[in-house]
Amino acid sequence: MRAQFPQRTLLSLALSLLFLSMARATRGCSSSSPQLLSQLQSQANITGDTRLLLEPYILLQELNTPTLRAACREYPVTFPSEDTLRALSKPHFLSTVYTTLGRIQHQLDALRQQSPKTKVFPLLERAKWNVQGIRNNIYCMAHLLNHPLETPNPTEAGSGASPSTTTTPSIFQTKIDNCRFLWGYHSFMGSVGRVFREWKDGSSRSRRHSPRHSLLRAWRKGASRIRPSRSSQSPMSRVQVPW
Amino acid sequence: MAFSVALHPAFLLVVLSLKTSRSEVLGEPFQLTPEILTVSTESKLQQVNLQWTVPNLTHQELKMAFQIEISRINTSNIVWVENYSTTVKWNQLLHWNWKSEIPLECVTHFIRIRAMVDDAKYLPQNSWSNWSSWKEVSVQVSVAPNTLLIFPDNKLLEEGSNVTICLLYGQYLYNVSCMLQKEPIHGEQLDSHVSLIKLNNVVFHSVSGTNIHCKAMNATKMIFGTVLFVSKVLEEPKNFSCETQDFKTLKCSWEPGVDTALVWSQQDSQSYTLYESFSGRRELCDHRNSHNWQITDDSQETYNFTLTTENNLRKRSVNLIFNLTHRVHQKAPHDVTLENIDARKANMTWKVLSRGNNYILLCQIELQHEREVIHEHNVSVHMSASYLFSDLEPDTKYKARVRCADANHFWKWSDWAQKEFCTPEAAPSQALDVWRQVRSENGSYVVTLFWKPLLKSQANGKIVSYNIVVENQDRLSESEHYSVPAPALGTQLSLDPCSYKIHITANNSVGVSPESVMVLSNDSGHEEVHEKRIKGTKDGFHISWEPTSGDALGYVVDWCVHSRDQHCDLQWKNLGPNTTSTNITSGAFKPGVRYNFRIFEKSMQQKAQLLEKQTGYTQELAPLENPEVTINNFTSNSFILSWPSYDSDFQSAFIEGYHVYLKSKEMQCHPKGKRMTLPDYWVLCEYEIKDPEQKAFTVENLRPESHYEFLVTPYTSAGQGPNETFTKVMTPDENSNMLLKIILPMTLCVLLIIIACYWKSQWVKEKCYPDIPNPYKSSILSLIKSKKNAHLIMNVKDCIPDVLEVINKVEGPKTQCIVSGNPHNEDVSMKPPSSVPTEDGSSGSVPFFFFENFTYDQSAFDSGSHGLIPGPLKDTPCQLGLLTPPEKLLNVLEKDYMKSLAESPTEETSLIYVSQLASPMGGDKDSLATNPPMPGHCSEYKMQMAVPGRLPSLALSENNSLTSEILLGQGEQ
Repeated sequence: MRAQFPQRTLLSLALSLLFLSMARATRGCSSSSPQLLSQLQSQANITGDTRLLLEPYILLQELNTPTLRAACREYPVTFPSEDTLRALSKPHFLSTVYTTLGRIQHQLDALRQQSPKTKVFPLLERAKWNVQGIRNNIYCMAHLLNHPLETPNPTEAGSGASPSTTTTPSIFQTKIDNCRFLWGYHSFMGSVGRVFREWKDGSSRSRRHSPRHSLLRAWRKGASRIRPSRSSQSPMSRVQVPW
Repeated sequence: MAFSVALHPAFLLVVLSLKTSRSEVLGEPFQLTPEILTVSTESKLQQVNLQWTVPNLTHQELKMAFQIEISRINTSNIVWVENYSTTVKWNQLLHWNWKSEIPLECVTHFIRIRAMVDDAKYLPQNSWSNWSSWKEVSVQVSVAPNTLLIFPDNKLLEEGSNVTICLLYGQYLYNVSCMLQKEPIHGEQLDSHVSLIKLNNVVFHSVSGTNIHCKAMNATKMIFGTVLFVSKVLEEPKNFSCETQDFKTLKCSWEPGVDTALVWSQQDSQSYTLYESFSGRRELCDHRNSHNWQITDDSQETYNFTLTTENNLRKRSVNLIFNLTHRVHQKAPHDVTLENIDARKANMTWKVLSRGNNYILLCQIELQHEREVIHEHNVSVHMSASYLFSDLEPDTKYKARVRCADANHFWKWSDWAQKEFCTPEAAPSQALDVWRQVRSENGSYVVTLFWKPLLKSQANGKIVSYNIVVENQDRLSESEHYSVPAPALGTQLSLDPCSYKIHITANNSVGVSPESVMVLSNDSGHEEVHEKRIKGTKDGFHISWEPTSGDALGYVVDWCVHSRDQHCDLQWKNLGPNTTSTNITSGAFKPGVRYNFRIFEKSMQQKAQLLEKQTGYTQELAPLENPEVTINNFTSNSFILSWPSYDSDFQSAFIEGYHVYLKSKEMQCHPKGKRMTLPDYWVLCEYEIKDPEQKAFTVENLRPESHYEFLVTPYTSAGQGPNETFTKVMTPDENSNMLLKIILPMTLCVLLIIIACYWKSQWVKEKCYPDIPNPYKSSILSLIKSKKNAHLIMNVKDCIPDVLEVINKVEGPKTQCIVSGNPHNEDVSMKPPSSVPTEDGSSGSVPFFFFENFTYDQSAFDSGSHGLIPGPLKDTPCQLGLLTPPEKLLNVLEKDYMKSLAESPTEETSLIYVSQLASPMGGDKDSLATNPPMPGHCSEYKMQMAVPGRLPSLALSENNSLTSEILLGQGEQ
């Protein structure tokens, strides 16, 4: 397991590089939707790697037994499943991911506060910023495709007070819950990455027919196809997000 | 009535009071039964808190003893009994607590109490009061169906302690298995829905706790668990001490021990607190291993510190009391300087921080050279001090350092203050150890001088060069100076055969070393002494000698490290005058290598005389190679084997002799040899030559025409040479010598005859087969004669040739060709026409001239009887058929003709005589072959001559003896 640490470091480095570009994105969104889409896919794929957070957490909390590892995956915290995400229209998909990431961000922050002076603390800190970067890119993607999210501005990482964490009586259960959350977080990001890849593949095919603005057309097509009703405007009504 | 009513209570009080007084006075026992007020629990601590009071207590204070009983599950199962004594005040609420090893959630406990007066002021009560009623202690928890509750939850405990885990099963839950991390743990079933797991001597796993998880095997797959936070045992701080450098701050330090922090906010790192009892100050330490305590009261001399460390489970303390003046850690000395440094000494000065006139410091001074302390000294210092380092080495780097401490109350040395310095160079202090090697070459001395480098302590600096002064003792006015730059360790001089005194010194930048002197006499290098063999050991050689004179200045033993190589690497050892033996040891000595030692005696005049030569081996080895043997005097029954001698320096040991092995079939050995029979009827004869100088061996009594094999190998004390392949020889036949005696002279005779014949070949040629055969001498003549037809032979004198070719036949003065008019030009000749049709009708392109014989009838010419006209020449078979058959003649002609062509320059004009053939015979080739012309027509030819235009005249007569050849052939008529 020691060998995983350098790999994790590499992943962290890659994410940090991506984060630099994301920081630029917070100042002004990129005008290239393929580039943004590619970047989002890379971010999601990298973040989906369990070596980034879950494995260090399992090692730190002494959960590295077959039973406890299985427990982490038996009842994962409810994230939108990949099928659900794939079924969403593109505006709803972006909105759902954006909202879910916001909650993930808060949960990561809570987790970070639970683990001071531990090895996972800096990893959680970095993960929180990475999630913030992905959110910014999603915001830009929606804005670029002329369908802004119902969120006023890209949030600044670390700004605002984190919600108070509920005190669980059993630390054991908290460990399991956190483990499940991290498992769900990585799985969710993996699913998001795959959906983004499908977008990319689809836009490539469309570009072969009509190279310009195909993504925008595809987006508008999706948006016009799904004209959400008032009750279904919120992605929360379609997917179960636990926060 | 009212009065009686009023008196009644008063009466009772009096009676009661009297009764009490009587009891006190008389010491009668009385019982005070305690009354439990509350029983509470602290689930996290698994603690039961008991509150009670002693009713009916009339005294202000009374010492009492209480006995408390705790039973588990039912009142009869008493698990704890404890006596508790205290002074009870009137109307006081009493407290007592008890920690259960089993979580209170899991089982019900019961508690009761009784009391007894235990006060010396009163008569001792010899019996307990009545028990209070049992009070039930329980923590109510509800367990949902299919759920498991595990207690205690998030338990904090110390490593090595014991803990009891209790499992509460909900309905429908069964078959539960639990694990501590990866190890299964098993419990004891207390009742149908409670089981206990006892864990003894728990160990620390992780700061994030030790997970215990359980899983039921029935329908539900839920996982249940708890975390034990096992803390490492808090250690007592070690090596706690305090000291001051400036009397303003006390720096206290200690070794903190292991960090007992746990995550999940279960336990922070242990805290450290310093408490000083005289001042009453308490400070939380800012570091876990040190704290700076500000000295606020200058008058306080004694300090009593208590260092306390604590975590959630334990508290530990260490105490330290000291006088401040005894805990002074002096600051490092300052202003360290080194003054007046010369080659042998240097003076160091430094200053110290002093606290007053009476304050004395002890300072330790060290001098280091190459990280090794070479000098150490302690001095007492008040404010500043100095120290003189003496006996220093010139040109050497040193490090001087000093540290100080309180001389009166030594506590600790200060840090070192240090300075590096380098002493200057001085003149070399030691004469060189020199030696020489002398050899004669072309009537002069070649003297190689050697010297050993001076040690650093002798050189006193970097040696720049070596000076050599050679004084001719025979001519004292002559002396030569040489300078050899360092780092050379020798030089070579070529000197005339005289006596010399050689002075050698080493120079550095400061001065010159004492001189080393050697004297060379006329006979140096020519001494002849006996060489003695010595036996070495693996460590070296023991050399001993006999002194020749009693006034020797000393002895020198020299030898070459590499005796086999050109590079000798001369070594020498100087020995004192009274020495007659020495051990020569060297790591360079190798087995099987001969080392030659020479022992010289040095006279008082520094003259070295060769005393002895000794040679030997540290270990003798068997010879590595056999000699190259040559066979001499090889006869049919003997031969001599001979071989060259070895170079002694290349011998791996002293050769003691040779073994000669001779091998053959059915051979008889010489009586001096050893006979050994080998397989296949082979016999091996071994002969031993005990004289190593004998280099030949005669093998005798051999049989002719027999195979023999031999091997010659030397032997030493370590064995003989390698077993190489035998050399094979075969003895010759006995008659072979006879044959040689006959054949050789015969061969010589034949050779002489051949040489003589060659010498007289011209004469033989002329006699036996001249170029122009004499028909009268020809063999054909006999044939003709036999036919009695003398006219068949044509007389040349009778013929009038039509074509003459003058062959450049060089034959003495007769061959001078007058025809050509150029007697020296052998190439100028009457050439046959080049364009001579060959037998097959082709013709060449050699130019030629025609001379028409006008004396002949033109008609005859026109009739086609001419022999040659411009154009293709036709054969004239008339002449060809005279002596030889046409074919042979053609061949002969062609040969000569072609030879002439080859000898003739192509551009040179040929002269061709064209004759008219008077004979009416046609020159048909075919008719030539079948009907040779008859010589009877010869009279019809007339002589014709062709004279080159440039020749003024031509005198041709018979007397001219002109040698010419007459070619009658193709194209030449």
